[in-house]
Amino acid sequence: MLIEMKNITKRYGSLVANDNVSITLKKGEILAIVGENGAGKSTLMKILYGLESYDSGEILINGKPVRFSSPYDAIKNSIGMVQQHFMLFPPFSAAENIVYGNEPRRGIFFDKKEAYRLVEELCRKYNLYIDPKIKVKDCSVGLQQRIEILKVLFQQVDIIIFDEPSAVLAPQEIDNFLQTVLDLKKAGKSIILITHKLNEVMAVADYVTVMRNGKVVKKMPKHETSIEELSYLMVGHHLEEREIEEIEPEEEILAVSNLTKTSPDGVKLLDDVNISVRRGEIVGIAGVSGNGQSELIQCISGLEHADSGKIVLNGIDVTNASVSAIREAGCACIPEDRYYWGSAAEASLEENCIMYHYQRKSELMKNGFLNSRNVSLFSETILKDFDVKHTSSSQSMKDLSGGNAQKLIVGREYMQNTPLLIAAEPTRGIDIGAIEYIHGRLLEKRQKKDAILLISSELSEIIELSDRIYVMCSGRINGEFSRDEATREKIGYLMMGGKNDDEM
Amino acid sequence: MNSLYFAAIINSTFRYATPVLFAALGSLLCSRGNVFNVALEGQMLAAAFAAIVINFYTKNMVLSILAAICAGLLVSSVVALFQIKLKAHDMVVGTTINLFIQSATAFLMQIVFGSRGMVQGHGMVSLTKIDLNFLSWSPFLYRAFENLSILDYASYIIAIIVYFYLFKTVRGFHLRSVGIRYNAAKSLGINSQKMQMNVVLISGILCGLGGVSLCMGGVTVFVENMTAGRGFIAMGASSMAQAHPIMAIFSSLFFGATISLSKTLQKVINSYFTETFPYICTILAITIYGAISKAKKKK
Amino acid sequence: MTMKCNRKFVTVASPFFAILIGLTFGAAVMIAVGTNPFSAYRQMFSKSFFDIYYLGQTLVKSAPIMLSGVAAAIAWRAGYINLGMQGQMCVGGLCATLVALFFPVKSWWVTILCFCVGMTAGAIWALIPTYLDYKFDVSIIICTLMMNYATNFLTDYFVSAPIKDTAGDGLAMQSPQIAEALRFYRFSPKNAMNTSVFLSIAVVILIAIFLKKSKFGYESKMTGLNREFARYGGIKSTKIMFMTMALSGALCGFAACIEIFGARYRYVNAMFTSTSYSWTGLMAMLIADYNPIMTMVYSIFLAGLAIGGQALQRSVGLPMQISDIIQCSITLFVSIKLLFNFQKLKINKKPNHLERDEEVEHE
Repeated sequence: MLIEMKNITKRYGSLVANDNVSITLKKGEILAIVGENGAGKSTLMKILYGLESYDSGEILINGKPVRFSSPYDAIKNSIGMVQQHFMLFPPFSAAENIVYGNEPRRGIFFDKKEAYRLVEELCRKYNLYIDPKIKVKDCSVGLQQRIEILKVLFQQVDIIIFDEPSAVLAPQEIDNFLQTVLDLKKAGKSIILITHKLNEVMAVADYVTVMRNGKVVKKMPKHETSIEELSYLMVGHHLEEREIEEIEPEEEILAVSNLTKTSPDGVKLLDDVNISVRRGEIVGIAGVSGNGQSELIQCISGLEHADSGKIVLNGIDVTNASVSAIREAGCACIPEDRYYWGSAAEASLEENCIMYHYQRKSELMKNGFLNSRNVSLFSETILKDFDVKHTSSSQSMKDLSGGNAQKLIVGREYMQNTPLLIAAEPTRGIDIGAIEYIHGRLLEKRQKKDAILLISSELSEIIELSDRIYVMCSGRINGEFSRDEATREKIGYLMMGGKNDDEM
Repeated sequence: MNSLYFAAIINSTFRYATPVLFAALGSLLCSRGNVFNVALEGQMLAAAFAAIVINFYTKNMVLSILAAICAGLLVSSVVALFQIKLKAHDMVVGTTINLFIQSATAFLMQIVFGSRGMVQGHGMVSLTKIDLNFLSWSPFLYRAFENLSILDYASYIIAIIVYFYLFKTVRGFHLRSVGIRYNAAKSLGINSQKMQMNVVLISGILCGLGGVSLCMGGVTVFVENMTAGRGFIAMGASSMAQAHPIMAIFSSLFFGATISLSKTLQKVINSYFTETFPYICTILAITIYGAISKAKKKK
Repeated sequence: MTMKCNRKFVTVASPFFAILIGLTFGAAVMIAVGTNPFSAYRQMFSKSFFDIYYLGQTLVKSAPIMLSGVAAAIAWRAGYINLGMQGQMCVGGLCATLVALFFPVKSWWVTILCFCVGMTAGAIWALIPTYLDYKFDVSIIICTLMMNYATNFLTDYFVSAPIKDTAGDGLAMQSPQIAEALRFYRFSPKNAMNTSVFLSIAVVILIAIFLKKSKFGYESKMTGLNREFARYGGIKSTKIMFMTMALSGALCGFAACIEIFGARYRYVNAMFTSTSYSWTGLMAMLIADYNPIMTMVYSIFLAGLAIGGQALQRSVGLPMQISDIIQCSITLFVSIKLLFNFQKLKINKKPNHLERDEEVEHE
């Protein structure tokens, strides 16, 4: 047995992240660990990689007990990890990133020539090609992942952990990645794959371990199970298929025409973008992250200015208008990142709830002064209506869990009662219950004949909710699908830059 | 204006630039490690005072320099402890330490020397001067490089060493990586916090040297709050140099020139106005720098 | 619930711990230089708080401190690090003095005029770095500090020649006295205590209410806590930035006027530099964690410390900087309060990062 983790328990205060978890990995095997967000699989891997400590249990490598206090120890014991958020330094070159921590030296100096040579050699050995001198910031996400993998290989480890490797990749890139995993297995590496995408598991894994609520539910060979069984085990109950009622869309709420934006270094972030959103429909924008979706919604919501083009919202020209003017014209926005834009972590829930509401509701603010009683009442309505678990409305935002914080933000923006709601990554990184809840509220808003513009890096979320889907690639709208036409494969092809009328 | 007069201005430019350059090197190392060190001023002032005290008792230059380095290290270790280890707010720590050192040196001055405002004389030594006799064929050059101290020359050598450290060594590479992404470096097995603390300590040593050259570079004297914002001018110099040690030499020389000019012009203009010169030039310089880099960004 | 209580306890209690540590540190310094700390502290505090003459001094000294402290708090809580309070006080005080000296009418309403001029001057002085930051990304921190040094020299120039008082021996670098009609009412000719202290306290309380209740208070607080969130929520960040800094500068001008029209009656060379009102105010507001009312309380405490320190220098010969040393060490220990909070909370807090696994990093 290469790795045995026996009865690992990890607590954070009263919360048990890993409860008596045991897993095993044999040499040359691909083990998939599947589970919902918050099931404890990432924590388990962080423990194995030395990033987190654990309360009880033991880890055996080749039968010998070990205890890691840092990733450094893990690497020495031949364990490497490709983390979900790439641990790369954008201004440095690919080679500098790959040799990081094991730099070839001449005395105290960093021998870069040798680094380039070593990286080229490594690329040849594993058939993973990259220009060693390219700066990481100029690489696509897929390429960055390749650099991460090369980095782990350079550490000469035998066991590679992948944490949600496909979360940021387009479907075709995922195929490439899965091929790489199989190649690595052939080269003699043992692999642990953390994922919640079951088709990937079925494609490559030898064994599957299912986790739920911090516990291992079951471990079995892949050929003895199926996607249906795995999803049942992951969630604990059968997922209900949601029936989405057909609504005839009405007049146009948002019309974006010929929108163009160029970055300071000359990259076209938005290239002649035309989209239209009507009342009573959810319009999704699919794309590999970093292909202009963020810039598009930031231009619409007024956080960024476009170079040229026109944005008409609710009949009003709001091109490059201020955020408050755009909100006034009828736009609310669930931002991509709930802590960067969506909230002030140190502020109270009340202060987070009333953002922008106080500008429009005279019961919250009159003559430039806030009415604290009404502010409390109003905040309580949002918190109650949107099922935000909290102790008091004056507690600070940072004490809410991610899902509850997200529900607060969704509630705040939902309650703006605007004809257009931009929902950017509305369910990123939250538990399944909160996801279901937020999806329900979005559909409810659609039912009210409001328009929703949805952006998500989860293709399944877009396909499930959207009436119409635009696909973005390199700042361009690369195609459009109705609900009936949309399939994963077609969208994925366009996300990678293919053309709609090309042969598939 | 005759050319020797001009040479004298160049000469004092070098001298005034030295403390700024030392502090700017400390500042840029910190900012490469993503540490916002506001306490450079206090580090320098403490060092200058320690140098004077040891100088007063021992009349020994080497011991004075060592004392200054120790004082700079001591103050910077407080910065490292509070700001990095205990994660206190950088502005609060920096500002407080600057004020603390300002009052502590004034306090100790009265205890040690029994005097207020200024200490000089007492047979205290100054830094060893280097005479470039081989330049005597040209009175201009001779005057321009006359009487520069060992630390004036050392500052340029140290700037070059810092350059090699940052861009050629493995440790410098790691330091820059910590500054770019603290957590990534940490997850790759670098003790990011320790690197940040070390870099603050190095800035303490550099400010220590800056402090010595401030109070023992020309006439040996210590004046209450004698750094007079040089720590902050150095921060401006470092940001204008985009945290590059070689560029920092030039930006420090620029600020040295403004101080030198302000002293020279006192003969023609009311000193109340000339004294403002370095500060106004700092503001103007960072404004122009900001305008240029903003225009570049737009392009 | 326990979490909330603990937290409240910690935020209230930690300044007191810090004060205790600061005083202990001061005692250590006193022992090191051969002074008995117990008798020294008894003298310090019995004078500054329990002696009617010195209590008056303490309160009069605390007025500009609390005002400049609140001025700093207004800017800092919105995320704009104004360190130029000193320069803004100098320029505000000088301009008000000029009006008081040269305006032909000498009546009570001229005082109001002088205050307006002083506040406007302070505001303009604060707006210069703000504009440079807005337009050219110049660091407000460095710019305001550089302006302090420059302003000190410029304002001192005025009392060195153009408006220097030639009465008496003419050696002191100071302006002539302002007319009696313009001064605040003093209760007794022997005691510095005057009505300006009450005005200052009233202003601080009004500002506290204003910051807590008003739209501006909310918007500037949100800007300070997360500028991107404020922008995303439709707050006009540029407007808030200029308003905040203008208000901060104006309050500094006001503080200078209080000092001149309430206590000194003239502009004196380096009057706002050597007394370091603004820095003490900054310390007070840092100990108070930007809360105006608590800033006022700590300002009175720190003013008492300074007055006691001066008395101590006269009686024991201990340099009065001892009070600055104590004050700085208090602030330094308050600055780690955040950590203190954090450690307490860690025990009770449920971790969020389990669910935040997929959160994007912003660096």
